Amino acid sequence: MSGNAKSSADGAEIHDRGYRRYEGARSGVVGAVRSLVWQTIRSILGLGRPARHKVFPVIVVVIAALPAVVFLGVALLFRDLGDDSLVNYSDLFGFSVAPIMIYAAMVAPEALVRDRRDGMFSLYLSTPLTRPTYVAAKALAVLAVMMIIALGPVLLALVGYTVVGDGPDGVVEWFKVFFRLTAAGLVISAVLAAVSMAGSSVTDRRAFASVAVILVIFGGAIVSSILVDAADFSNTYALLDPMGTAGETATRILGESPEQGGSVSELSDIDTGVVFLGTAAWFAAGAGIVGYKYRKLEAT
Amino acid sequence: MQFGAQHALDSLDVDVQSGVTGLVGANGAGKTTLMSLVLGLRVPTAGQTRVLGLDPRTKGAELRAQIGYGPERNVLPQDMPASDFVKHMAEVRGMPRNEARGRASDALWLVGLGEERARALGTMSTGQRQRVKLAQAIASDPALLLLDEPTDGLDPVQRDEMLSLIRQVSREYGIDVVLSSHLLEEVERICDHIVALDAGRLVAQGRLDDLVGDEQGVVVELAETADQAQAFDDVVSRLSESRLEVRRGEVGSRIEVIGPDADLVADLVRDAVADANARVIRIERRRRRLEDLFAVGTP
Repeated sequence: MSGNAKSSADGAEIHDRGYRRYEGARSGVVGAVRSLVWQTIRSILGLGRPARHKVFPVIVVVIAALPAVVFLGVALLFRDLGDDSLVNYSDLFGFSVAPIMIYAAMVAPEALVRDRRDGMFSLYLSTPLTRPTYVAAKALAVLAVMMIIALGPVLLALVGYTVVGDGPDGVVEWFKVFFRLTAAGLVISAVLAAVSMAGSSVTDRRAFASVAVILVIFGGAIVSSILVDAADFSNTYALLDPMGTAGETATRILGESPEQGGSVSELSDIDTGVVFLGTAAWFAAGAGIVGYKYRKLEAT
Repeated sequence: MQFGAQHALDSLDVDVQSGVTGLVGANGAGKTTLMSLVLGLRVPTAGQTRVLGLDPRTKGAELRAQIGYGPERNVLPQDMPASDFVKHMAEVRGMPRNEARGRASDALWLVGLGEERARALGTMSTGQRQRVKLAQAIASDPALLLLDEPTDGLDPVQRDEMLSLIRQVSREYGIDVVLSSHLLEEVERICDHIVALDAGRLVAQGRLDDLVGDEQGVVVELAETADQAQAFDDVVSRLSESRLEVRRGEVGSRIEVIGPDADLVADLVRDAVADANARVIRIERRRRRLEDLFAVGTP
């Protein structure tokens, strides 16, 4: 379509092209996934939405970052206490358990349930997106947001410790710690994202989905605690606790086992391979439920 | 296309041409199911579908990148500004980010929502939301536009405006449109082609001009009064004597008179009515309407 152009005496032109045909390149499935990931992240964090949608994510981020900030302050103020004043990274992951769980219960329901309830899921499937690419985009978005809570505080601590002179020795060591932290944060985020998305796949009510996620996470911890602590079953049953299992995997990745000065848990004496398998099983179970539910989900 | 034992679409052989095609039929006729097949969201139990030269089953993503779809359901996210939503859908359909922003704005201006583009969708009226659905469907410059009941919930004025917009999109920008509707009158107004469905079966398809329009002859409706019973029979008798085909209508006082020349038939009807001293309520050219297709198609 040709546009309208108005010329003035000095040669300036105002072009009003209006709606027109498009002959340029199209971004295809990759562009569709990228846009959906970004839009989902924006929706979860309340970006581009009224202020009330931003309150909860901000509060959770602040609560999650608080321990890291406090320990950084302690390290800065009481530097003469030496390394004893420093908390290790797996403990920092541990301090973030509550905000991570709350976030897990909030993030995936926001990302998945809304689309199914208001019909956006069907509209997305009328685009180059397919069920697998749609779910992959949502999973990437949920994982990215979970990483903010799971990894943000420990990375803040790493940078803070480095700035105050208590960080890893040398660049190589620093990057080693950085990659281990990233891997540990990724494992925790992936497990909780899978559990959270599974809970969000089984109901079309966001509140019910959040309750389902909390029940799985808390319920797993309670059941494993009863079996291991009260009923004196094998410590292997502690693998029924998804958060504990993912946390223990993070500890192993960070190399902060009790022998290396880390905290003791029911899973401390379980073989690393078994712990990793337990984590993989939780992830696979969550992903399997999501895949099954979305394969069956009707789109009109 | 079969759901369990029920055939949603049965023995359907449809060939859709360029322009605006109306997919008509009552609720449950299979219109939305047919659109789902076109989009590749459903797989036919038997048979083949080709859209824009592509098979939706094997080239679904590639095909859907060329289709703009406006669903019947109210799918708009409540707290999202219209411009963000349209831009996002344009990106998802393959527009580069910067291009999508401009095209979202252009599409919203085209549907008359340029001034409202920053408003949250949840605060918009039904008419505005229908326009947003049209804007998101055209923002990616589709080759084919599928609109499922685009005038649903609109008042007569809004419906006129929406139909004009759809016609404009097709005529000015050369975008082929398939729109579904259970309102035959609005389909007759803007469509070039018709696909009529009833209970999942094809009732008729073809150019609108071929399916509806003037036919040879006139329709006469006479006043039904106690003293006119004989007059009605007299009119029918006289016209039959003039070698015209006379059909008694479903309404007792209505007759259809068919002859080679509508003007001549009208003159003969006038004379017969005058001779029989009958009272005429209405006389008009005989015309086929879309309703007639369904009347013929219904067993």
